Amino acid sequence: MLLKLIVLSSASLTLWLVPLVGLDKKVGWHKGIQGASLCAALACAVSAGNIARQLADESEIQELKTRAIKADVEDEIATEVYVSQAQRQQEAEAILNPVERLERALALSCEDEDSTPNVQNEIQAEDAEERRAERVLELKAKGWGKAKIILEVWGVSKGGSQKYKDAETLYERLIRGET
Amino acid sequence: MRAMYLANYFVAGCIASSLLGWIASLHPMAFRAIAFLLVALGIVWTAAWLLDYSLSQFLKISIQQLQAVLVSVIAFLIIGLGVFLCS
Repeated sequence: MLLKLIVLSSASLTLWLVPLVGLDKKVGWHKGIQGASLCAALACAVSAGNIARQLADESEIQELKTRAIKADVEDEIATEVYVSQAQRQQEAEAILNPVERLERALALSCEDEDSTPNVQNEIQAEDAEERRAERVLELKAKGWGKAKIILEVWGVSKGGSQKYKDAETLYERLIRGET
Repeated sequence: MRAMYLANYFVAGCIASSLLGWIASLHPMAFRAIAFLLVALGIVWTAAWLLDYSLSQFLKISIQQLQAVLVSVIAFLIIGLGVFLCS
């Protein structure tokens, strides 16, 4: 097709220029040949133009197809990359999940350990308070005096100290049964 | 390839102009007819330049394309008739 186009193009130029330059217009048959060659040249030029137009359209379509194929391939590659990335992420999450669970479990156990002493302290304090109350009542039943009981239970001797006053207040409460 | 087909059509226009010149040289009446045709073409060409915006909208092409066609027409007329007259 391209060869035909080239031949037609060169033929049109030749048939246009050569008879006009080479032949005499005043001679009758020369003039006739000029007219015929001009008609042939016009036909060749129009044919060549049509072929070239057809080839241009085809090449444009081919270019569009190539672009579409290229875009498809790029899209496919991008999708594959995305999918593989998502798969890798899922695998990584699957690997990390048990570790996370362990970490959470450990964190919970740590939190339990942290909260246990407070509770234990409270329980111990309550036990001590009960034991102290029992001891106070026991000593009171034995007929011990107030100062002696405070000294025995709280370890504070009689005087004007703040510790003794606090112990005295607690003793009074225990005796009244307010605990 | 696009340039090649445009060039071929341009050459076809040049050859057509030379053919018009050849027809005009055959007989005085043919010369008058071709002269009338060329004058009419010149009027249309000038009117097309003056009405290029509305004509481009009517033909649904851009103004640049219309102007390119008009310049090409005058160019192949000059070249074709020039080749015929000078040979």
